[in-house]
Amino acid sequence: MSVLPWLVAAWLFCVGIYGIVTSRNFVHLIGCLSVCQSSTYVLLLGIGYQWGAVAPIFYDHPPGTPAVDPVVQALVLTDIVVGATVTALLLAMALQVSRKHETLDPQKLRPFIDEGRR
Amino acid sequence: MTALVPLTIAVPLAVAALLIAIAHFIPPRLADAAALLAALASAAICAVLAIHTMQHGALTYWFGGWMPRPGVVLGIGFGIDPASAGFAAFIGLLIAATSVFAWGFFDEVHAHFHVIMLLFLAAMVGFCLTRDLFNLFVWFEVMSVAAYALTAYRLERPSLAGALNFVVVNSIASFMMLGGVALLYARASTLDFEALREAIARAGDDPVTTGAFCLLAAALMVKAAIFPFHFWLSDAHAVAPSPVSVIFSAAMVGVGLFGLAKLTLDVFPNATAPQSFAQGGFAALGGLTAVIGATMCWMQRHLKRMLAFSTISHLGIMLLGLASLSATGFGGMLAYLVGHGLVKGALFMLAGILLATQPGADEITLRGRGRDIFPAGIAMAVGALLLGGLPWGILDAGTQLIGATSSLGVAWIEGTVLFGTAVTGATVLRAALRIFLDLGPTANPEEEQSPTEEEAEVADRPLWLMLAPCVFLLALALIPGEAARRFLTVAVGFYPKLAPGDLAASGAEWLPWLSVFLVVALALSELLRDRFPTRVLVARDALLRPIFFGVRSLHTGLVGDYVVWLMLGIAGFACALAVV
Repeated sequence: MSVLPWLVAAWLFCVGIYGIVTSRNFVHLIGCLSVCQSSTYVLLLGIGYQWGAVAPIFYDHPPGTPAVDPVVQALVLTDIVVGATVTALLLAMALQVSRKHETLDPQKLRPFIDEGRR
Repeated sequence: MTALVPLTIAVPLAVAALLIAIAHFIPPRLADAAALLAALASAAICAVLAIHTMQHGALTYWFGGWMPRPGVVLGIGFGIDPASAGFAAFIGLLIAATSVFAWGFFDEVHAHFHVIMLLFLAAMVGFCLTRDLFNLFVWFEVMSVAAYALTAYRLERPSLAGALNFVVVNSIASFMMLGGVALLYARASTLDFEALREAIARAGDDPVTTGAFCLLAAALMVKAAIFPFHFWLSDAHAVAPSPVSVIFSAAMVGVGLFGLAKLTLDVFPNATAPQSFAQGGFAALGGLTAVIGATMCWMQRHLKRMLAFSTISHLGIMLLGLASLSATGFGGMLAYLVGHGLVKGALFMLAGILLATQPGADEITLRGRGRDIFPAGIAMAVGALLLGGLPWGILDAGTQLIGATSSLGVAWIEGTVLFGTAVTGATVLRAALRIFLDLGPTANPEEEQSPTEEEAEVADRPLWLMLAPCVFLLALALIPGEAARRFLTVAVGFYPKLAPGDLAASGAEWLPWLSVFLVVALALSELLRDRFPTRVLVARDALLRPIFFGVRSLHTGLVGDYVVWLMLGIAGFACALAVV
């Protein structure tokens, strides 16, 4: 396996984090979160990949044909499902925020402002 | 007996699925009762398993009969030992008590609240019992998604903002966790705890497994709210509906810490770098968390936010116990998890009672208003004293055991534990005395204005119904520490890699009483501050104001800042792991 998928995964993660940290709009922030998450897909698929191997479906291959690791693919599928759930939930929350407060800026949406008394 | 294992999660999941299908046709009370029974059933099965494993040794259940073959572990297994099953039973009991507390609270959303609560329960139980790393991740995610939905339930500005911070930080944590799982799989080609342990031992000090530990430990510490990953907790716990806060503070964060303990003791016991990092780094982080949490707690006037910061402080104390990697420390952590969960659950229920019967949960504006509901005041004072180290019950057994680890080389542990317990206990006692006994100086104009928005919770339940589960939890917390120690002596025996330790150990006799004295003295010194000479007050302010200002300015409420802290924490972990 080449080093490229590892670099791509690290790059995607860092870019996503940069976007989240500097974001001024929640929809943009949620997009950045998805970018971060795709780094885990790349990492997992990169780990299971083998040059010259087939997809792990043995319908038209005899058993024993070299195939890429099906376990990591199952992990990626599970992760995609979870990611979709979280993104949907976050977007629903962002929708409620913009409906009620007419802003999507994290800077204007702090849960407790000027809390504390000393 | 093995056949009971899948039922621990199948029962709540099945009842949740059934409830969501028929919720619109059945009376709401029936849904309440079904959820209560499902939680109790799950707790009972876990308790039976805990007792069985105490007598007959650990159990392993392979889902779908996928038994491991020599060298190949493909199946997903649940591994039952008394500590895991006992903790899972505690969670079930807590959910049951909460559903009594929330009786009728969420009527207008039909049974959705119960459905999510049962999912939450199944996820936490699965997380405690599983012995498969990816399965652990899946339960982690189910737990998180259920928690996200419960936090944002009220759909108002603070709750949405708190929930968004919570979701973003915890999602990044789950990505890191998955990255850690992937790295371990790349090295070991298996996900089973036992097989992983052997593979890590074979690999020796390998940078890939060390990196995996770094990512996994950081992710679990986000869940367990350890500095510098704790910022989301105070936002989320303070804005969630109070029955949800009960579960968050008493169970969910504890589950994160329990996962961290399992990872360190069960998966990485043979890796030198993670083990030495756990001893040094966990102790440092635990101490910092305990001190920062307690300081922030003292500054709060919103009851739920106050309790949230106290939870952070106590989590730091528990991490101090784990850091010793000894039977004494781990046993102390387990006792502390349960004892703290019971006390903190009861205190969050009391905050919920105040929210339901009074306008808001602000310590200053509620001054003297609690007189009509004085039984709640007694319960709150008892909770405050227990939190502050009253030498009685399970929480005290945990404090004693964690304090006893200081003989193993870290002499300042006892001091940190004392600071955390005394300051958080004093803060809660201060609020209780102010609200229920009308003590304290009348507010000056700058304090008159409540910084939080008006809030109130549904008040359609009689006081006794809300108070009963709260008193029940406090009564459980008063179970003598000896019983807890007997259970722990057997339970820690299932973790052979722990350094041997004495489960009957305790610190100095006078230490808990010093803590209780400090609790009362600190609370009264704030409430009776009018009686002190002005010079003393000026000196105190000059001394404390910069500290308070410094600690508070870290907690900005801005999600971008939290993520920066998260990355700094990870970078620090990586550096520490590279050095040790």
